[in-house]
Amino acid sequence: MNTAFPHFRQLILQMAFFGTLVFAPQIRAQEATPNAKDLAAKLSANLQDGSALIRLKLETTPVAGGPKTTLQLQVKSRRTKAATDIIYQVLWPKERKGEAFLLHKSGDNSPTGSVFTLPDSLQPLSASQMKEGIFGSDLTYADLLENFFSWEHQALVGEEIIDRVPCQILESKPGGDDRSIYTKVRSWVDTKRMIPLKVEKYLASGQLGRQVTTTRVAKDDTDRPVPASVMVQRPGQTSVTELEGSNSKHDVTFTDSDFTAEALRKLIPATSAAK
Amino acid sequence: MTLFTIVVRGLIRRPVRTGLTLVGISIGIAAVIALVGMAWGYEKSMVRHLDVMGIDVVVSNMSGGIMPKVYDASLEEKIGKLPRVKESTSVLMQMLSVEDAPMMMVSGREWAGFTWSQLKVVEGRMPKDGSENALVLGRLAAEVLKKKVGDTVQIDAMEIPVVGIVDGNAVVENGAIILSLSVMQEATGNQGKVNFIDLQLVPDTTKAQTDELCKQIKEIFPEGRAMVASEVVGTSQGFRIARAMSWSTSLLAIIVGVLGVMNTMLMTVFERTHEIGILLAVGWKRRRIVYMVLWESALLGFLGGVAGVTLGAIGLKILETTPAIRGLLEPDLGPQLIFISVGIAVVVGVVSGLYPAWRSSRLSPSLAMNG
Repeated sequence: MNTAFPHFRQLILQMAFFGTLVFAPQIRAQEATPNAKDLAAKLSANLQDGSALIRLKLETTPVAGGPKTTLQLQVKSRRTKAATDIIYQVLWPKERKGEAFLLHKSGDNSPTGSVFTLPDSLQPLSASQMKEGIFGSDLTYADLLENFFSWEHQALVGEEIIDRVPCQILESKPGGDDRSIYTKVRSWVDTKRMIPLKVEKYLASGQLGRQVTTTRVAKDDTDRPVPASVMVQRPGQTSVTELEGSNSKHDVTFTDSDFTAEALRKLIPATSAAK
Repeated sequence: MTLFTIVVRGLIRRPVRTGLTLVGISIGIAAVIALVGMAWGYEKSMVRHLDVMGIDVVVSNMSGGIMPKVYDASLEEKIGKLPRVKESTSVLMQMLSVEDAPMMMVSGREWAGFTWSQLKVVEGRMPKDGSENALVLGRLAAEVLKKKVGDTVQIDAMEIPVVGIVDGNAVVENGAIILSLSVMQEATGNQGKVNFIDLQLVPDTTKAQTDELCKQIKEIFPEGRAMVASEVVGTSQGFRIARAMSWSTSLLAIIVGVLGVMNTMLMTVFERTHEIGILLAVGWKRRRIVYMVLWESALLGFLGGVAGVTLGAIGLKILETTPAIRGLLEPDLGPQLIFISVGIAVVVGVVSGLYPAWRSSRLSPSLAMNG
């Protein structure tokens, strides 16, 4: 007994030590986790990051193989709590340079938008077109505008580790005033960096409509971690879309005229856009 | 029959087992070569890049994203006037996704600055002046972008003609798109901004004088940092992580190698108890038995090391040509790494043979001969 007890005590101490090492971060994470409403509010506030100029590469690859479509894009956005304005313009390839679209949403109003196609066609986007993919990709116009973190119903429904990062699963459901084709959106949120690492959007049929996976996280020009590369998939569809950000500039001065349908007609390079 | 002949025969007698053990060690050593070679290559490429350009001190604001933050270009004038500064030049460098190529270095350099003088024109010409809408491509960048002189490259919304292909004498330079600072500023909307000021110091500047200069720069540019070029790599967290990751992964491969060789040598000892018993009975000293087993395992390690270096070198050559790496770094497979890798393999062999050697030396001649 005299010899056994120190061993037993040592074992208990070792278990406690390793237990502290293994579980302490999780305990701390649990303590630090805000409730669903707060978490959604923070994520929503992060989305409303004011005015920004972003460079993106958009690649759409057919699942069955074949040539992929690559576009270099310039994105101008102005996101506030009251309204969102977004312009996507194709910079490359040369033959598509200048193709563009504009999206606008304010308050509870339905989103509006316009599409400019070459050589000189400017068309408004109808409500049904909002569900179509941008530049033939798997990402819709509505996906770009929708801020499901601001929806009425938010709940934490579990935890899961994504790429060795512990995530809270936030479930967002639209309320009476929220408009969406999705009835439920689940986000796997890295609460430390406050970014979603995976988002699943479910249709009214209960089927998964879209899955957005963050494949690379980087710090932007404001020193904030952001999903720098994402992959968009639609179960059962024939292509996969990847968006890779290469540059961002926040606090850019835009005027209202920068976000008009007429502004789509000319490709204003970053030079003059960033006043 | 010499000890060496017995050792070689011991390995040849079981060719399949020896071969499989060699494969195990060589894969481990190949992993060391590939991972450490990449990490060292990464460091060497950057050091060579700075060295080739003749940069002694780099001034930047490293907080934030992948590349340093931009700051006002007028800072160069103040910094250039500091004592011990022979020449200064401003650079706006960004990692950009260009056309359908992966991210690549786009370097806008102050026209006529010393960083231009190291470039050798391989084809075409240099831009005529700092205002010409023109760029030159490093040799590898031209290959990656599939561009030749006369084509255009689109940087953001601007189409810029390629007027030359250059050899920068360093892989980072050869993988870059190089243009004048003013054109780069215009293309990326960063008029009047730079993110590096490169300094050349007067010859014979001492370390104390360089440190003093760095302090003075810090006073002028508090949010920035002046770093001696040779220390840029050593203090970079990215380099440190790459180094730690390559060695920790290599360590795992080495542990697997140790276990593999140890298993083989133990099997050898168990199978040869009769033979060892005879050797002890005819007068071999126990120490000689230990040497025999250790030599066998060391030879196994050495051969595995040589095979692993060959395998690793092939792996590095393949990695070097992958689109993600091409033009960004040049893997380092110098004599030092080869020597270290083969040395590790031999040490792995000897360490793995210690326990089997000890077991063999404990055998009793009579019991061993009885089987």
